[in-house]
Amino acid sequence: MTATPLLPRNAPFLPEDIELLNKVVARTTPQQRSWLAGFFAGFEAAQSGGMVQPVPAAKPRAPLTILYASESGNSEALATKAKKAAQKHGLDAKVFDMADADMALLAKSKNIVVFAATWGEGDPPARAVDFYQALMSDAAPRIDGVKFAVLALGDTAYAQFCAVGKAIDQRLEELGGVRSFDRVDLDLDYAKKAAEWTEGALAKLAPEDAAAGGTVVHVDFGAALPHLEDDEPRYTAEQPLEAEIAALVNLNGSGSTRETWHAEFAFDDPAFTYQPGDAIGLFPENDPALVDDLLQAVGLGSEAALLLKLQKSYDVTTLSRALVDNYAKLTGRADIKALLEGEAYPKFAADRQLIDLFLAYPEKLTQDQLVGLLRPLPGRLYSVASSLKAHPGEAHLLVGAVRWESHGRVRKGVSSTFLGERRKAGQNARIYVKPNRHFRLPADGHTPIIMIGAGTGVAPYRGFVEERVADGAKGKSWLFFGERNFTNDFLYQLEWQDYLASGDLTRIDVAFSRDQPEKIYVQHRIWEKRAEINAWLQEGAHIYVCGDEKGMAKDVDATLVKVLAEPLKGDEEAGRAKLKELTKAGRYQRDIY
Amino acid sequence: MTDKRSKNEFIKEQSHQLRGTLAEGLLKVETGAIAEDDQQLIKFHGSYIQDDRDVRGERGKKKLEKAYSFMIRLRIPGGVVTPKQWIGLDTIASTYANGTMRLTTRETFQFHGVIKSNLKRTMQSFNAICLDTLAACGDVNRNVMTAANPHLSKAHKLAYDLGKSVSEHLLPRTGAYHEIWLDGEKVEDASRPAKKDEEPIYGVHYLPRKFKVVVAVPPDNDVDIYAHDLGYIAVVEKGELVGWNVTVGGGMGMTHGDVNTFPRTADLLGFCKPEQAIAVAESVVTVQRDWGNRENRARARLKYTIEDRGLDNFREEVEKRLGFKFEKPRPFKFTGTGDKIGWRQTLDAKKASDKAWHLTLFVENGRIKDKPGYSLRSALREIAELGICDFVCSANQNVILANVSAKAKPKIEAIFKAHGVSLDVSSGLRRNAMSCVALPTCGLALAEAERFLPDLVTALEESLDRAGLKDDDIVIRMTGCPNGCARPYLAEVGLVGRNPGLYNLYLGAAFNGSRLSKLYAQDVDKQRIVSLLEPLFIAYSKEREDGEHFGDFTIRSGVVKATPAGNQFHADVKLV
Repeated sequence: MTATPLLPRNAPFLPEDIELLNKVVARTTPQQRSWLAGFFAGFEAAQSGGMVQPVPAAKPRAPLTILYASESGNSEALATKAKKAAQKHGLDAKVFDMADADMALLAKSKNIVVFAATWGEGDPPARAVDFYQALMSDAAPRIDGVKFAVLALGDTAYAQFCAVGKAIDQRLEELGGVRSFDRVDLDLDYAKKAAEWTEGALAKLAPEDAAAGGTVVHVDFGAALPHLEDDEPRYTAEQPLEAEIAALVNLNGSGSTRETWHAEFAFDDPAFTYQPGDAIGLFPENDPALVDDLLQAVGLGSEAALLLKLQKSYDVTTLSRALVDNYAKLTGRADIKALLEGEAYPKFAADRQLIDLFLAYPEKLTQDQLVGLLRPLPGRLYSVASSLKAHPGEAHLLVGAVRWESHGRVRKGVSSTFLGERRKAGQNARIYVKPNRHFRLPADGHTPIIMIGAGTGVAPYRGFVEERVADGAKGKSWLFFGERNFTNDFLYQLEWQDYLASGDLTRIDVAFSRDQPEKIYVQHRIWEKRAEINAWLQEGAHIYVCGDEKGMAKDVDATLVKVLAEPLKGDEEAGRAKLKELTKAGRYQRDIY
Repeated sequence: MTDKRSKNEFIKEQSHQLRGTLAEGLLKVETGAIAEDDQQLIKFHGSYIQDDRDVRGERGKKKLEKAYSFMIRLRIPGGVVTPKQWIGLDTIASTYANGTMRLTTRETFQFHGVIKSNLKRTMQSFNAICLDTLAACGDVNRNVMTAANPHLSKAHKLAYDLGKSVSEHLLPRTGAYHEIWLDGEKVEDASRPAKKDEEPIYGVHYLPRKFKVVVAVPPDNDVDIYAHDLGYIAVVEKGELVGWNVTVGGGMGMTHGDVNTFPRTADLLGFCKPEQAIAVAESVVTVQRDWGNRENRARARLKYTIEDRGLDNFREEVEKRLGFKFEKPRPFKFTGTGDKIGWRQTLDAKKASDKAWHLTLFVENGRIKDKPGYSLRSALREIAELGICDFVCSANQNVILANVSAKAKPKIEAIFKAHGVSLDVSSGLRRNAMSCVALPTCGLALAEAERFLPDLVTALEESLDRAGLKDDDIVIRMTGCPNGCARPYLAEVGLVGRNPGLYNLYLGAAFNGSRLSKLYAQDVDKQRIVSLLEPLFIAYSKEREDGEHFGDFTIRSGVVKATPAGNQFHADVKLV
């Protein structure tokens, strides 16, 4: 990964200076280079003017409220970027998480830009639910004449694509707002289009005379280098890192009904940094057998170059309304178009994938036509299972292999079987960092932590405990872990045993659902231990929940409400309020998928 | 002077009558194991910790500890189980264990694969059907075997009654079992805790080693009386049981490469009257408690006490404690150790039409499970649900459906037929084949046994076929280690595991279980076993005398020297 552009030999410097400069430049990040560019621009300007000038405070700046509703952090990152960009448009922008915002904020805003993610089956992100409901309710304030623009994020794999962004867009208009820039609905490959949209939206909102204010690069001589960890990572989905898979082990014992891969990625670049709680993105490759089936289905032979292209770069599994629409248009077939009418689509799409569409409505396609239908293959996010301090130059992931059968075909999770079947230790894969500011260890190492996870949801806690050991943090810790069978599914069992023995993990409780006639899940253990949990909370404990929403997080949430309600005479409303309080205080953090 | 007692003596001494830290250990949810000392103590509660040795290699790599689970052995004196209990056991097998029930070589059941988090509920499930596991393992009197099937004759019933009484009399009195497993719950049986934690018979150190008692009714020696610490032989005169010939000092276990350890056939101690039998058991046990070797566990069984102190001294001490002397042994004769597979009727003279039927069902290696085309477990459950017979576990890993009316006979036959279970056995060798569990669960196993013996028998059946001996009864037994759970040293063909795939081959034991075998070949694999045995089978077929058994033939024809006593086991060995 040393694709960094170097100074050319004909640069106006002495050869030895070029060498020296190259040494420094080679180590820089894009941020550092643009800082340098800005610095010298500003420096020259200051020289010519005789003194260092901050960016001209051009006229009175227009206020801008940037609101985001984020689950995985994508909207949040876009909002943060937009705030920076707003500056040069003469906008005085403030960024708000819907989790912390209320209707009063809306009422006093003059210009609003919204970045809204849609989660699961058309739901707002968990932390944004209260704001969203208030906005949709009769109690929402009028915002007559307020200019707004909405960017919606979603995933075309889900039926209710961008539903939340669409609803907010419509609602702001109903409340009297003026749409200054048309909404855009973006899929997983949103980065480039989002940047363009943000530019366009900000330009529309900018005060008339600020547009000329221009091209001066602002150099903040007082500020430190951008904080890479909590800001934009060096390696992103757009610019991933090629890392070596140093170890790849299925942690489940023989005879397990599960297959959970522990993958250790190794890299040399110290700029690849992450914190426990962050997600690591992994770019998988498709199953070549499936790609081959797909090519056969549309009458394209197994042409090696095309096969490889689709295998590496295109999403060949996801079926979406947009894709069906495009396929209908391309083929001109009425029966395909009919799939989009009424309830036909969800009925057809249930448990089906792209291959099923091609097999059910076979048509011959050209290479270009086929590729034109496909979206780029998105990366998959996994909570990092390691601490960089414990494993310098490594990132560990815990990936559950997904396989199922539907409509007579064996289906394979693209990314999970990429690791489980199509990669071996020693081979490479592309990874990147996706910071998750809302799933972080407490700043104070003495704060007790309660970690609740089922299955691969235990991953971030391995990172947490490793980090605390590396930091010498002495706070108490308590792990609740759930899976199917004790003997074969106790992920990282030996490590937890060591941490218990050393005192680095204070307590553990486990729930194995299939070891006995009745199902036992983590929420049952949480309820059994409610008195101690409340005692830990009294001591300021933070609670973490990681795992899937339907299978676990929902039930754990409901149980925690009851646990908190118990000292409050069992009043569940009060328990819920208490849990909300903990959420606001950052003491109840969830990483849900 | 330093205390030279073995480690286990200290564990017992400090255990607070078998409690140790078992209760605490059950609460440690991060591990499927229990503390090291508790692993010794839990044996007294009828359980061993084991691990799946098939997967040992992968576990560490997967960041998993060994695949621990527990074997639980029941205490069923005489092996008698009611239909209701059978249904309960069958349910436990699929709910908490590995889906199988394993008939042992000592008239009881073992359940394998119970994980720690289910141990307590499994114990409670046994308790709910009035069964317990107390003292099924450990340095105490283990399950008492009696001549199979108390319904077979009056003498069998009296043998069963004696066995049951001995078992109850020698049961540990500690409350540990009830505290740990049953939450102090009360049940009306003999394992109920005494008011005070004391062990009038065992004391705080219990016995130096395990102790096994059997009761035989000649001419059957199905309980293998010579392999046991204490035995009673029913003496029936004029149709009435007049008393018991008492045997002591039998035992199987030895250590490879240590000639100071050896299997030993029991000696006759004397004759006692029926009302003296319990007192005899207690005195034999207390002498062994006081005289037994507590420094070297490999020489701690009663057989070595008698070997070292002499039978006469031992008898004298027992008589001193009893306050009476044994009478001279009465004559008796044993004909064989095997079970009579198939239907038979009650022996006692009665009107023939009133006589109940008993079906001895051959169960290969004692493993009761369903497999495709042969659903033995389901068949037995179905029969149990009809409630038309008692179940009796035999000492040969078979099960007897006892006390069946003539009317119910065809029902039972039909159920077996429907489940693909034949009442016939493919050969006389298989009929008399027995093996211990060994791999993958037994921690002691050096080689396969249960998973290998059926294949070996199949291979040998071809040789027997060629020799024309397919239907002849020849006793073959295999164990995965020299401890001898399947009593291999009393088999006409004995195989004891030494290394994976390699066995020591012993020949020359008596068919009726009264004489030990002799080592014939060392470290032989399957092919070599077959090639060594086939010519012997052929010679036997051609040269045997009338009624001569294979074991006797190998001695008469000089294949191996006879082993007249345990201390001669390692003598006169000439390997092929």
